[in-house]
Amino acid sequence: MVMYPTRYHRPRDVCDAVRLFAAGEDATYLAGGHTLLPTMKLRLAHPSDLIDLCVLAELHGISTQDDVLSIGATTLHREVADSSVVRRWIPALAGLAASIGDRHVRNRGTIGGSVANNDPAADYPAAVLGLGAIVVTDRRRIAADAFFVSMYETALEPGEIIRRIEFPIPEQAGYAKFRSAASRYAIAAVFISKRGAIVRVTVTGAGSAGVFRLRAMEQALEKDFLPASVALSQIDSGALLSDLNGTPAYRANLIAVLARRALGRLGEAQSYK
Amino acid sequence: MVLVSLKVNGALVSREVEDETLLAALLREHLNLTGTHVGCDTTQCGCCVVHLNGRSVKSCAVLAAQAQGGAVTTIEGLAKDGILHPVQEAFHQCHALQCGFCTPGMIMAALDLIENHPGPLTEDVVREEMEGNLCRCTGYHNIVKAILSAARAMRPTEAAAE
Amino acid sequence: MLGERAFKAVGRPLLRNEDGRLVTGRGRFSDDFSLPGQVWAAMVRSPHPHARIAAIDPSEAMAAPGVLAVYTGADCRNDGLRPIPHNPVPSTRFDVKLTGRNGEAAFIGPHHLLPHDKARHVGEAIAMVVAESLEQAQTGAEQVSVDYEVLPWVADTSQAAQPGAPKLWDELPDNILVDSTFGDAAATDAAFATARHVVSMKTHIGRVTGVPLEPRAALGNFDAETSRYTLYAGSGGAVRQKHELAYVLGEEPERVRVLSFDVGGNFGTRNRAYVEFGLVLWASRKLGRPVKFRAERSESFLTDYQGRDLVTEVSLALEANGRFLAMRASNLSNVGARCVSLSPLSKGSGLITGSYDIPAATLRARAVYSNTMPTQAYRSSGRPEVTFAIERLIDKAARELGFDRLELRRRNLVRPEQMPYTNAVGSVYDSGEYEINMDRALRLADWQGFPARRTEARSRGKLLGLGFANYVESSIGTPKERADLIVRPDGIEVVIGTQPAGQGHETSFAQVTADLLAVPFKSVKITLGDTDVVSAGGGTHSGRSMRHASAVIALGAEDLIARATALTAHLLDVSQNDVRFEDGVFLSVASNRAFTWFELARHAEQPGLPDLLAGGLWVRRDNEMHTPVFPNGSCICEIEIDPETGATEIKRYATVDDVGRCINPLIVHGQTHGGIAQGVGQALWEHCALEPSSGQPVAGSLMDYGMPRFDNLPSFRTEIAEVLSPTNPFGVKAGGEGGTTPAPAVIMSAIEDALSDFGPITIDMPATPVKIWSAVHQRPTDKAAA
Repeated sequence: MVMYPTRYHRPRDVCDAVRLFAAGEDATYLAGGHTLLPTMKLRLAHPSDLIDLCVLAELHGISTQDDVLSIGATTLHREVADSSVVRRWIPALAGLAASIGDRHVRNRGTIGGSVANNDPAADYPAAVLGLGAIVVTDRRRIAADAFFVSMYETALEPGEIIRRIEFPIPEQAGYAKFRSAASRYAIAAVFISKRGAIVRVTVTGAGSAGVFRLRAMEQALEKDFLPASVALSQIDSGALLSDLNGTPAYRANLIAVLARRALGRLGEAQSYK
Repeated sequence: MVLVSLKVNGALVSREVEDETLLAALLREHLNLTGTHVGCDTTQCGCCVVHLNGRSVKSCAVLAAQAQGGAVTTIEGLAKDGILHPVQEAFHQCHALQCGFCTPGMIMAALDLIENHPGPLTEDVVREEMEGNLCRCTGYHNIVKAILSAARAMRPTEAAAE
Repeated sequence: MLGERAFKAVGRPLLRNEDGRLVTGRGRFSDDFSLPGQVWAAMVRSPHPHARIAAIDPSEAMAAPGVLAVYTGADCRNDGLRPIPHNPVPSTRFDVKLTGRNGEAAFIGPHHLLPHDKARHVGEAIAMVVAESLEQAQTGAEQVSVDYEVLPWVADTSQAAQPGAPKLWDELPDNILVDSTFGDAAATDAAFATARHVVSMKTHIGRVTGVPLEPRAALGNFDAETSRYTLYAGSGGAVRQKHELAYVLGEEPERVRVLSFDVGGNFGTRNRAYVEFGLVLWASRKLGRPVKFRAERSESFLTDYQGRDLVTEVSLALEANGRFLAMRASNLSNVGARCVSLSPLSKGSGLITGSYDIPAATLRARAVYSNTMPTQAYRSSGRPEVTFAIERLIDKAARELGFDRLELRRRNLVRPEQMPYTNAVGSVYDSGEYEINMDRALRLADWQGFPARRTEARSRGKLLGLGFANYVESSIGTPKERADLIVRPDGIEVVIGTQPAGQGHETSFAQVTADLLAVPFKSVKITLGDTDVVSAGGGTHSGRSMRHASAVIALGAEDLIARATALTAHLLDVSQNDVRFEDGVFLSVASNRAFTWFELARHAEQPGLPDLLAGGLWVRRDNEMHTPVFPNGSCICEIEIDPETGATEIKRYATVDDVGRCINPLIVHGQTHGGIAQGVGQALWEHCALEPSSGQPVAGSLMDYGMPRFDNLPSFRTEIAEVLSPTNPFGVKAGGEGGTTPAPAVIMSAIEDALSDFGPITIDMPATPVKIWSAVHQRPTDKAAA
């Protein structure tokens, strides 16, 4: 449908963006727009003001310092996928970015937009949570474990802007997802990372409350970081989604299969359908 | 209302439009460039693909205002002096279109793939990278052939693997 | 039949004339048209599957900015608008004659542009808002307040046919509008009684939708000065829709002009008029402004005429050696809330025995109303369903009775010497070499090499399955066609009443014309789609176009050659016997003078010709053909299943298709490819799913409706067989739908083969990964995943 009327703004900097947000009746930040604009076209969202964060160079870029890889909020999926820096230090993250949507979506979608939206089937939340990243906003630093609250819900306050996401560089990481034939979103996807003795296992696409950590599987993998350590019993199917794409039992099975496959090809992101 | 100025197919245009005007609507309704088509409402069909600053985008999910100061290329901007672009020519030679509705977006997507994909183009790569464009008529078989053919023509130094 | 002659253009893979405008963005699709002063329409649609419309309050909408009018079913009735005359019962000479119970006419509920009594399906338009801008019209539509009295509803095909199911139409005792039987019950019963083996199967081939990439759109304009209505709208036949809409409006047909130029895919969805087409014309008259409607993709999913939805119970009686003795079938077609076309049930009914020589059969064909979107013909209307039934039943017989599935088929195929072959329900197959097709397909698919490929797949932990299906299908279609052949000094124009949506008529018809008149291919231009120019014609559906067009053009060419001969004789003052037409030239032996077509055309424009030759060098020819033709073929595919996830990958897909004479193989292969994709789509991803407890459609967008894409289809190996049909001058059968017809059967055959280690399992289409995995691991699927 035709979108309801709105007002478009190009802020001068982050402070200006925050000020514009506060001044609007019901403002929303605009990044890549590939979630917000379709939602507005379906008339499910009706923001009074759109504040375009992609005009702010300060939110863009990829860099490393010590053992942290930092990605600016308005960095495109394509840029993360193609970045020699990301491919060197966290290749599974580059592969994950390369698997988002399709090539046209990757030319517009941003990591900040994806993380702030927290779609229950989005890929980036699995990596952010799965690598124990820090979400750096205009006003604070939020640990990933505290950031994702429920589906489409994060710890961000109204008006808060993500500046960048800081990823501790793991020793190893892998990602495997199984996509719906229609939406091409994950029916289930598993991100696994190992840093020292710590293993993190996160699941997206399958949870009824969005991305989550699989603690039982983490513990098993901390003992023995091998596909054989993965067991169906580590997954509680009661908390899993049931829809046209999958029953809870099916999703639980997928999680186990995808976890093994991620472990079998660490340093890669695999996308099945 | 917002004043949007940008280059479209090499020519500078300026239009005052409603803030919520999509790039696809700017092209179709304000500039009368009806070659770019709208086929869905969930940003999934690819009929509306154009190039923005040298990269393929779905114009139904970009505000005209977001293209401010940029350069857009549409299907109408490919042929020069009546000579078809190699991708257009390849689609014609390979019968890669039937009803033609998906074709403009398909050609723009293919062009982006050929111009920007870093590695060699094989059938598998083409099928993988073109997943964002739907066609209901051709079953994709001939479009794959056309893209591989155009790639060979446009990347002569590279022997395209079959 | 045209004698065998050297064709210069016919049979060659000539590149298409259509492409020039389409690859450069200069196509003319429905939404590309705008008129100054146009206003916009948006529909108010029922959220309920079944509800009485108690009251409609437009006041809030009327007060909204930009809103000009709100129209309801009461307004339509007050203005005397008539229902759309869909004429859903196929009635050509050879169509299977469907009737209601006891031979009565099937009850066809009226399809008014807007209903005044009740809404009979989710999404049914019950009001239209017209406003200055589309945004205002859509906002206005949100503000129309409707008082519904919700009624009991039924959506499931089998349930809708049960006694006591909620009724859609008061005029019927239940929901069953068609109940006819065909075939020889006595012979069938006798065969079943003594048969050594009987195999049975019941299945539901589900509901899918066409998803043409161009959503439907219509721009209607009433010109008060000329009192004429003009409609810009892609369709499956502009002439038909002109007549239908004129009837609805209560006008003479000549008062309506329909323009269907470039059509972004049809597949059946556009064969029948939509309510919005009539509504924009009517509203334009009332408002004195052009009115434009453009469907959202979600509206298309909800309210495009949908396809398939057949419950079929079939049984086969076999001798000990596997010879087929008789067949029983009971087919139940879900027409939805209104009967728009019974073509799927009718076409399918004539083909239940498929490619096989089955001496006796009985068929009970029923159609049922339900609170769902109306269905009608969709790519190979009715034939994929019955092909699925017979081919899967034969696979089942082979498996259960220990026969080789290819041998069982060979033993029973209709043989070439039996042609023309009358099957047990009365269809007369024109020609075909079914076993030769089979053998060609087996070679093309490297059937022999499969075991090695299966072993290789197993080494990677995957299950590879091999599927096989034969098919025979029918092309009937509207029997009349008209062509105007006009020769001008600068070229030849053919005006014809077909309506392509990608089939390349501007090219293939030019090939036919060029060879008949012996002129260069590039000198022929085909005109379509404007009913002010196209005076008559049958549109495009059922694979009818090339057969009817080539026939009427061939007859017209004879007339034209005769006329040109007479003109030549007149100009040279010789007798007509002295004039010969050779290699595109009219020459007089006596005077050794000759004219090309184009020179003659110049002469024909001169004044002073006798009446019989005056008025230009052109003819109009009508033709009527009722005899159906039967394209046929064989199809083989290999599918690899990942048992851990249920994921499927089609590794190979090969077909041999007998299309009769192939006018342009480039175009025919393209049709096969696209047809395969649609059939495969139904087997693996596509389904107009409904939430069972509410009757709400849940696959309302591309987010939920899985489509064939680049990355889930392979490249195909397709071959064309040309066994000419004796029924028309060029020997054409049809090439547009054979790709689809065997596809659901061959895919499920391959999946069953891949999973054969797990014992007999039943998977309903679409065979999504969750269903395959659940079947293999013997888990019940939730209702949500069913």
